This record gives sequence, structure tokens and C-alpha cells, in this order.
Amino acid sequence: MYNFTYHRPRTLAEVAQLLSANEDAKLLAGGQTFIPTLKQRLAQPSDLVDLSGIAELKGIREEGGGLTIGATTTHAEVAGSELVRRLLPALADLAESIGDPQVRNLGTLGGSISNNDPAADYPAGLVGLGATVRTSKREIGAEDFFTGMFETALEEDEIVTAVHFPKPEKAAYAKFPNPASRYAIVGVFVARTGGGVRVAVTGAAPCVFRATELENALAADFSPAALDGVSVPADGLNEDIHASAEYRAHLVKVMAKRAVAAAG
Amino acid sequence: MVAGPGGLRFVLNGRPVRSRAPAGARLAQVLREEFGLTGTKIGCDAGDCGACTVLLDGAQVCACLVPVGQIEGGRVVTVEGLAEKNGLDRLQRAFLITGAAQCGICTPGMLMAAADLLARRPSPDETEVRDAIGGVLCRCTGYRKIVEAVLLAASDRPLPTEPDGRMGARRIRLDGPDKVAGRAAFGADRRPREALELRLVRSPHHRARFGIGDLEGFRARHPGILRILTAADIPGRNGFGIYPDLKDQPVLAAGEVRHRGEPVLALVGTPEAVRKVDPEELPIAWEPLPPVFGIEAALAPDAPVVHAGRPDNVLIEGRVRRGEVETALRGSAVRAEIAVETSFVEHAYIEPEAGFAVRRGDSIEIFATTQAPYMDREEVAAVLGIPAERVRIVPSACGGGFGGKLDVSVQPILAVAAWLLDRPVRTVWSRPESMAASTKRHPARIRAEAGADTEGRLTGFRFHGDFDTGAYASWGPTVAQRVPVHATGPYRLRAALCTTRGIYTNGPPAGAFRGFGVPQAAIAHEALMDMLADRLGMDRLEFRLANALRPGDVTHCGQRLGDGVALAACLERLRPIWREERDRLAAGRGREGPLRRGLGIACMWYGLGNTSMSNPSTMEVGLSQEGRLTLYNGAVDIGQGSATIMVQLCAEALGLPMELFDQVLGDTARTRDAGKTSASRQTLVSGNAARLAGLDLRRQILRLANAGPDAELRLEGSLLEVREGGRLREIDLRRLVPGEGGEVLRGIGSWDPPTEPLDADGQGVPYASYGFAAQMALVEVDLELGTTRPLRIWAAHDVGRAVNPTLVEGQIEGGIAQGIGLALMEEFVPGRNENLHDYLIPTVGDVPEIEIHLIEEGDPLGPFGAKGVGEPALIPTAPAILNAIADATGVRPGRVPVTPDRLLAALAAAKVQG
Repeated sequence: MYNFTYHRPRTLAEVAQLLSANEDAKLLAGGQTFIPTLKQRLAQPSDLVDLSGIAELKGIREEGGGLTIGATTTHAEVAGSELVRRLLPALADLAESIGDPQVRNLGTLGGSISNNDPAADYPAGLVGLGATVRTSKREIGAEDFFTGMFETALEEDEIVTAVHFPKPEKAAYAKFPNPASRYAIVGVFVARTGGGVRVAVTGAAPCVFRATELENALAADFSPAALDGVSVPADGLNEDIHASAEYRAHLVKVMAKRAVAAAG
Repeated sequence: MVAGPGGLRFVLNGRPVRSRAPAGARLAQVLREEFGLTGTKIGCDAGDCGACTVLLDGAQVCACLVPVGQIEGGRVVTVEGLAEKNGLDRLQRAFLITGAAQCGICTPGMLMAAADLLARRPSPDETEVRDAIGGVLCRCTGYRKIVEAVLLAASDRPLPTEPDGRMGARRIRLDGPDKVAGRAAFGADRRPREALELRLVRSPHHRARFGIGDLEGFRARHPGILRILTAADIPGRNGFGIYPDLKDQPVLAAGEVRHRGEPVLALVGTPEAVRKVDPEELPIAWEPLPPVFGIEAALAPDAPVVHAGRPDNVLIEGRVRRGEVETALRGSAVRAEIAVETSFVEHAYIEPEAGFAVRRGDSIEIFATTQAPYMDREEVAAVLGIPAERVRIVPSACGGGFGGKLDVSVQPILAVAAWLLDRPVRTVWSRPESMAASTKRHPARIRAEAGADTEGRLTGFRFHGDFDTGAYASWGPTVAQRVPVHATGPYRLRAALCTTRGIYTNGPPAGAFRGFGVPQAAIAHEALMDMLADRLGMDRLEFRLANALRPGDVTHCGQRLGDGVALAACLERLRPIWREERDRLAAGRGREGPLRRGLGIACMWYGLGNTSMSNPSTMEVGLSQEGRLTLYNGAVDIGQGSATIMVQLCAEALGLPMELFDQVLGDTARTRDAGKTSASRQTLVSGNAARLAGLDLRRQILRLANAGPDAELRLEGSLLEVREGGRLREIDLRRLVPGEGGEVLRGIGSWDPPTEPLDADGQGVPYASYGFAAQMALVEVDLELGTTRPLRIWAAHDVGRAVNPTLVEGQIEGGIAQGIGLALMEEFVPGRNENLHDYLIPTVGDVPEIEIHLIEEGDPLGPFGAKGVGEPALIPTAPAILNAIADATGVRPGRVPVTPDRLLAALAAAKVQG
């Protein structure tokens, strides 16, 4: 990490200005993924725009019965929030399962979803809950936001400001973590809402996805046993040193059942 | 943007400071380099190991992942800020009294993680402690004593005081205060002013030929790079290796590389210049060649040849034969067979290789992390082409070794660079290069067969193991020779045939790793013991006990064992627990759902010291006019505690308190050769040397006082009192003529374990003394996920006598943690997981409760009865866990580690369902 200009703006307007003035600028939130990337020189930005000094990006508040969480809110803040624990305990659990205390103390919601690591936890939470991503320009539904591996609908000069989560009837997140990083080898977020059942899977494929077969089975009968007859194909699933595609497919179903059981 | 005028302000350990570092510089580096606070360690520089954990505005963070620009106006606390004005704080003292620091490299990170917790939750429970330290890796302790220390610090109990005493006392480790204060100097913590930096350029290929282009032109375009070293620059022998006839590993490769990560060039220059180089810009023309991976490929008839002199890729063969194994097996009532395959295992010490070299006239001095300073000295001398007497090795504090720092790493190339440039030169390996280039545990491919008669007595045992020694010999021959001696397990046999081969491949060099192949072999013999017991309908513990070696038995090497064989006592100690747990499991069967519990047991034996080879140690102890004692202790403490127990043993023999001792450690210019810290030998071998040195000094004192052997000594400043019955003699040390170093008396002790050579059939006396143990593991297998969770481990170890029970327990707990890793998660794949997030080692969450039983029957050869436990701690753990998995599921996976996907596949194949 050499030779870049470091900025620590105080307002979103300054961020917009910096981004439009510096084509190669990169945004820095908690830095837990981005700093290692810089060290490995996988990214060599001209300018680094640090978002940690912007007050309007922080905070957790109740809104329309659901929750709105500012982009630079840390995982530790979400995990430790009484409000989140009361309104959306599954999301507090998810945040608490991210990484280790060091990562949770610095890593942020906005950083995580903007990076869209295939094994990150929050994408499952957002898609599972049908959350809305608020940006400096617009609102984007979670499913439209996550577009591919490390890819999102964000434009070059657009940043996430907050995420709004509606309150479900029931929800739970079950994860099979990498024992070292606690990234999801497979993580399944299950939610039942007035509108139906949503099952979002992270870690298994290049990008978070909804498991519609599982959703259909659960819509008829929201119980672990309802998933017994459903098979999850391994096609297109990730394969790496930690797990084969077949094993991941198997995990999707097992973790979905466990999430349903945990949701009650 | 560099920091604004006046610099970047923050509060560091309570003091306002300004940093001149660029805003993008990482906090860990700034703390160490700008503020000299080297208590914050860098173990991975990627947020994986947690060694650099500090408090930022009260919350623990990895300092390696924080750009200093983000902390403007913030508060940072490092380990140096923990200590109170009048010494260590309660948490640090709790770490000392519980023995929570071993090598000490993770200790600052652990302390800061715990400090964060205790500030938020003054009375945490154990789960909260485990969560809080969950982001810091420790490779030594197995985490048990760390958790205990944090809970103790959080309690309202007063901290226990350190007990008095010498032999057998739970003394606080002598290097402990420096380690918990962050003062201990590891390889990267010291550097001479104006030191140049050296960076190795390594092969990205597993096997390749290469040519080097215009280096001078490259250097001219990179001001700040002063020299680029190639194989042609090595003044002496461009090769090193453990055996005198096997110096097959080059310091810098010459035209051909045999494993990924092998060094080909060394860049020497200013730190900024060498760090900036992109290795791909260097003029190296690679011609990749098809690599040989794995034993099977290396033994194939048309396999590429790794070393020209070994056309069949076989480095060495080992063999022990006694009796007619075929006949014995044929005549058995029951027989069992097993095939086992294991993987490369990385040592994963948290301190990567580091050090510096300084040329002084026609001599060279090296400060580096190592387990074997005298071997380093020989290697460096040969590489420079100078006599060994002109090489001085000063070991740094060693941040974990486990066998991986027995081979030279940074030493030869640092020496060459400092020699040629006549400037101090330092280097610090990154985590990926440490993992790519350092030695590994040998992958093994084992087939074994054993039989027993109707009475349950073992008859014959046949074993063949092929061990993948990777690209270079390293300790391959040691593994090939040690395994046949241990492959039967610690049991009486009528006949045995144990053979081994060390095989060259293009994997990383496999070398010494806690047990030298014996842990792999133990997986096989302990599986066979369970299978035979089951076939006979005998209890698995009782079957082992019936066959356990006892004093007076003859081993399959033909060695008649003396006293100091307490395996039976280990098993007898576990027997009531075994029965109770088995009954509990039987009662619970049938209502577990997807979770199945199983109980496993395993035994081990381990010869202490080198196999049939002289491996002496010499220690000296001096007495000064001022009444201080100095132990000249050449044994390197890699965390196991030799720097403490050598003083305990010497003080015990001498009859004076430990508090009077100072130590000179490891420095080859100031200590005698104590041999390597390997083969669990320091307690037995150097311990005897320390004891004899103490006795020698005592003898000299008694002679001066004309007193008998039972006289009591007392030292009060320069006044030495010798009391015998009612008679008191006083010696004023100031009246004695000081000799070398101002000392008035100096005692010396040497000891070499009595062994005898092995003949072609491996018959002889390979070791003077053995460690024995039995461990039990209770595990829970999740049949849906294929995961295995150890719930509890019991460990009964024949340690002769515990010199320091706290340190012995620390060795056992740490060994068990590594055994869990070997059994369940650790598998190094070159090029795939050269980091600590893809290569998995046990975290605090992976190590269950451990119940330790020390069996202290005394070893006749050990110093005050003591013997080593470093490797014995690890060996039975994986076999016990694997046996527990088989007990839980009926499935015995043949491939280690038993990862969830492997176990799930094995369960599916056997149609085991929840």
C-alpha cells in the first residue's frame, strides 16, 4: 500500500466531490477486507476516501416497524444493539457470527455489502429479509443490489448510506463457518413474512441467491421436515480447499433445516 | 497525503503523540518502527493471527489492518501500556502464575484481547472469555491456561503467590515477566541501526529450470537496491542439510528449483527499496517442468527424477526386524489390517522466521530465531567457507518452533549478505513465504497388520510406511529411522517387521515436526489395537494393558527395558474414567439424533534424544564474588520452558535457591553446546548436564569448606555459609581469586544418553529412555455435517518426575491441541493455503477441557527422575480422536485429517445416518 492520497471527509457531499474528482479513488470503511487487498497489491488506488469520519452514515434506528442501520455501523454495534436484539434477533446473531472480535470492532455493514464477498454473511441477511439498500443516489432492493461475485449495482460514484430491514414474523441464520476466518462456507438465512418465505444462501455460490425450491417447500409447511424431500443441486456451486460443490450443496439443505428449526 | 504538518495526533498508552507516518501506513508497523513498541507482534500481517491486537478507543483491533489515518484523535493501548507503574498488572501476573505464556509471541495479543473483555465485562464466564480471545491464535498452549488466566484475573480472589522450591515446584517461568510485558526480543524485534534489508525472491513454480538475465541493469533502475545475490555469490558451500552427507538444499537455487517457494535471488538494500520490488519484474526466465506430487507419483516407473543421484526418488530406507513375522501372523487367532494416509502439516508457529547478521572483521554474528544454535553455526560456517569458531549465533526469543526451526532458515543468506556487503543485514519473512519455504510434517502412506492369540496377547506386527520428504532431505532420514523403532506401539510382541522409505517429491521439504513421523505411525498401530480387541471381544483398554511394555520387557529392537516404564500405570489411572464414560455412552445410545458420541483411547511411546547417536549436552554454572550464580545454558527455550527448568535442576543439585541465578542463554560464544531443542531431549539430556554442573560446583564448594556431601549451603551476598550438623564454615567469596569472567568458581556438567548402534535389522539400543502415555478422547460427530467435536480429553503421561508441573501441563495441553489439528483440520497444500485463514489450526474454540494425570514413578536415568514430554504430548491425541470417531460411527476414515467432507463421504459410503 503505497503512493496513494488519503482523505477523511466529514460529509457525504465531500465524498461525492472526491469521487468525481479522482477516477481511481477507492472507498475505505472498516478496512477489514480492503487493507489486506491493498497489501497484496490486488488494488492500487490513486486515492483512498476514508468514510469513518462521516457522522450521518452511523447509527441504528427503528423505522416503520423495521430497522434502519447506517452504512458505517460496525458488526459489533449491530450485535450489541438492544434495539436489533429486540426487533430482529436473527440479524444480531448474524452480526455476532462474523469473523472475530477484531473484525467485528472495525468491519461495517456498508463495507461488507459493497464488497459482496461470496462468503460474507450480510448478503444472506439482506436478501433473506428483503431489505432495501439506501445509497447516496437511490434505493435498491437487496436482490437487485447483489449482482455477482464481488459485484453490486452500485455505480462508480455511488455509496451505500444505510440499509432498511423490514421486521419478519420469524427468522434465523444458520452458518457452517470456515473455522479460521468464520466466513460462511455455507450460510442460510430463513425468514417468514406476511409475503411468504425467503431462503437466502451465501458462501455456496459466487453470489448470494434465493433457494426457491426450499422456499416453496417451506411456504407449504414451515418446518425442517418439509425440506427432507428437496434436493439441492451442486451445479455452479463453489469448490475450494475447504469444501467441494457437492458438500456445499449438502450443507445448504442441512443449514436451511437448522435455520428453520432455530426460527421456531 | 502524508500526515499534515505536525503529524497525525493520537493518544498512545496514555500519552499524546504525533506520528509522521503516511496516513495509509498500518498501525502495527508504525507502533513497531516509529515508536519502537515491539511488544505488538506481526504474525501474519493479514488479520488472521491476532498477534498484533491492540486496543483502539477501548476495543480490540488488529493493528495490522488499521491505517493510521483512521486513528486521528483516537486512543491506542498496547501491551506496553498495560503494566502499572509498579510493575505488571493483575492480568499479566495471572498469565505468569497460570503458565499462560509459553513461547510468548501471541501473549501481547492475548493480553490485549482479554483486557478489552475485562474492561467491558469485569466478571465474564468461560464462554465470554473464549469469544473474546477467539481472534488470537496460539500454537503452544492449547489455550487452556490462557482461559484460566483470564478467569483468574477477573475473579475477586487474590492471585496465588509463586511457590518456593526447586525440583518439582510450580515456579513462574523465568522468561515470563519479559514475555507478558512485551519486552522479550524475538527475531524481528531487534535490528542494528542502519541495517540493510534482505528479501528473497522465490520460485512461483513447483519445479522449473531458470536462467537469470541482466541483474545489473535491473539494479541500476532500482536505486536503493545495493546488491542482488545469486547462487554464484555463495562464498562456500551452496548447500545445507541435517546430515553431513546430505547437504542437498541450496541457499539459493542454481539453475533449477524443486519446490514452490525455493529462493533463487536475494535483494539487499534499503527497506523501502527492497519492499517495493515486484518479483515479476526481475529478469528470471522460467522453464516450468512437470512436478512430482505425492508418494505414488514419485515411485511410478517413469516418474521425473527430483535429485539426479536418486533415480528412483528414494532418499533412504529404514527397517527393524525381530523374529518371523509371517509365522507369528499366520498363527494368530485374530488379525487386523489398516491403511492410513496423512498430509503435509505446517508448524504454524506465530513468529515467522527473522533475524539479522553483522560482520565483525573476519567473524560473523547472527541474531535469529532458531532451535539449534550450534547446528546453525556449522551450517553458516560451511556456507561462508570459514571455520565455525568465527561464527557466533545469538538466538532470539523463539516464537514457537515445534521442529520447524531446527533447519536453518534466514541464517545462511543473512550471513552471506552481511559478509559480502560488510553491512548489517536483516530479514523478516512474510507469513506466506514462511509457509511456502519452511519444512513440514511428512505425509505418510502406511499399511500395517497385527495379530493376537486367543488369550489376547499380541503375536506379530508388520508395518510399512512411505514418507514424502518433499524436495530436500532435511530430517527425512531421522523419520525413516525413528518410525520403525516406534511403529509397533508400546507393546510386547513375538515378532515384528517394520520398514520405511523416505521419498523425494516436489513438495515442500518435510523435516522435523514434533514426533518425527511417530504421530503418523501411531494412528495405524492404535487403530489395529482397537480392531484386535474388538475381534477378540476384549475391552480396548484392557487389551492394551495386557500387552503394555513393562520394566524388564524386551522391545522389538531387542532392547531390554529397565525401570522407568510406566505405561501400565497410565492405563490403570485412566481405567475408572474409561469405564464410567463407556457406561455413560452405552446408556445414551439410541437417542442422540444426528449427534453421535464416541470414546477413544490410544497409547504411545517415544525414545528421548537422537536415535542410536551420541547427542551430548554440556552446561556450566559460575559463582561470582558478589554471590550471584550464572547458568551458561545453551539449550534454546522455544516456549517449552527449558530456560526455567535447567535452573530448577541446577539449583536443586547445588542446594541453593533459584533466586540467586542469572542465565546466559543459547549464545554460542558464551555457552557450551547443549545440542538441539528436539526429540524431547532437553529435560533428560541437558537437564542431566545442568544437574551435573550444579553438583560439580557444589563439590568444589564442599571441598573449600572441607564439608561432607550432606552439608547445607547458604549464600548471603559475598558470604557463602556451609553448615554441617552443628558446624558452620563461612567462605568470603571476595577473598577467592576470580577466574574467567570474574567468577571465583565454575562447575561444569556433561551428559550423553547411553545408546548402542542398531544393526541392519534394527537390533540394538536406540534410546536410553522412553516417554509413555495413554490418552482418551470423547468426541461428538454430527452425522449430518460430518463434523467432529472433541468434548473432553484425558491424558495420563509417564513423565518420570515433573520438574515443573505447570510447564509439563502446558506441554501436554499444547501437544493435544496440535494432535487435534493433525486429526481433524490440518492439511498444507503447496500454493493453495499459504496463510492462516485457509490453513486451519485449532483456535480456542477447538480445544476442549483437558484432564491431565501425571504419572511420576521416576526414571532411573532422568535428572531427579525427570524425562521429556514435548513430543509424547502430541502423539496419542490424533489416534485417540480417530478411535473415538470409529467408536461413535462404526466408520474408520483412512485419510487424515478427517475433514467434515471426508467424514461425510465415509459415512455415506457406509450408509451411516442420523
